[in-house]
Amino acid sequence: MDVKILDFEGPLDLLLHLIKESKMDIFDIPMEQITKQYLSYLHELEEIDLEKASIYLPLASELMEIKARMLLLKKEEIEEDEEIDPREELVRRLLEYEAYKEISKTLKEKEDERKQYFTKIPSPLSPYMEEDKGLEGDLTLDDLVDALKKFLKRKEEEKPLKTKVTMKEITVSSRKLEISSILKNKGKVKFQELFEHFTKPYIVATFLAILEMARENSLLIKQEKTFGEIIVEGTK
Amino acid sequence: MEAVLEGLLFVVGEDGLTLSQIEEILEVDEEKAKEILSNLKTSYEEKNRGIRIDFLGNRFKLTTKKEHQKYYQKLVENKENNMLSQAALETLAIIAYNQPITRLAIDNFRGVSSAQMVRKLVAKGFIKEVGRSDLPGRPILYETTSEFLDYFGLPTIDELPDMRNFLEQNQEDDDIDLYNSKYKEDKITQEN
Repeated sequence: MDVKILDFEGPLDLLLHLIKESKMDIFDIPMEQITKQYLSYLHELEEIDLEKASIYLPLASELMEIKARMLLLKKEEIEEDEEIDPREELVRRLLEYEAYKEISKTLKEKEDERKQYFTKIPSPLSPYMEEDKGLEGDLTLDDLVDALKKFLKRKEEEKPLKTKVTMKEITVSSRKLEISSILKNKGKVKFQELFEHFTKPYIVATFLAILEMARENSLLIKQEKTFGEIIVEGTK
Repeated sequence: MEAVLEGLLFVVGEDGLTLSQIEEILEVDEEKAKEILSNLKTSYEEKNRGIRIDFLGNRFKLTTKKEHQKYYQKLVENKENNMLSQAALETLAIIAYNQPITRLAIDNFRGVSSAQMVRKLVAKGFIKEVGRSDLPGRPILYETTSEFLDYFGLPTIDELPDMRNFLEQNQEDDDIDLYNSKYKEDKITQEN
């Protein structure tokens, strides 16, 4: 088949062309034949312009699906009158597309005709125009939303630059050092006294530090009686 | 009054004037406005002048006459014609008969993506956004403009040819068959 590939406006245009060229009845398209022709065209196109070919792919799969459904219909041999022809939707679209193609020819004629006479650009009436520009007509909700977006963006720019307040990181090892220096100075302290701040990271780090130090035998944890005061004592 | 209207139409040029604008500016009622318009129109026609009054895109405009087209052509040196592509015409036809319409619906009619074409047509002023559909994602709806009508020399959107004339009808064959069989019947009775 040597059809100029780039002449088609899309898959529907191509399909319509193939149908017309083979003089098929649009209301009774031979699916097998048309699918074969369409695919052979598609393969040819793939060699030349893969990107363009991709536009034609969805309809190819649609054609194959319709073909398959028609075969199934025949096998089952159900009362044909009640079955919806699988081609129906495609035919409707093709006819519609064909109509618009025809209409665009009429439009083309009208375009040609209208090109034969002219109007002129409006005379500038600036001497009578008021300074105040006001708002032009044709404003839509989108314009309003756009204006608001721009306003918010400007507001954003006016805001002082963000400064990050960094929190001092409390690590288990730093707490260990601190606790051991406290114990060195005081010998022993109450458990609570080691918790000077009541922030979560501080408490967690301190608690872990005490446990680790106990494991390392660098401190002892004592409790005289149940529910009594817990005493932390340095080992040295 | 006709002279004033003539001047007005000259000044507005391709923007044209609607009937209600004419009423407003001349401070007359609709009937009077129509009368002034038709007087001016006739006087243009009678004297066989180079200008006429046309009704395009719902507006009255002064235009040149197409009989004189060949003379205007001589003014232009490069005769490159600046026509719309087949794809553009197709897309416009679909929009014109289905407006307001979403881009996706246009794509479905054409079987190809129309994103670029729609953008181009908006830029040319042939179509415009007129709001959003209630469909999911609230897609933009497009409509043809008065410039579209003028470009194709159409007075109003109703002047577009009837879509039905362009649709191949399946029933048509049935109708003919019916007619034929009846015809045969008649023939048979005649023969008898």
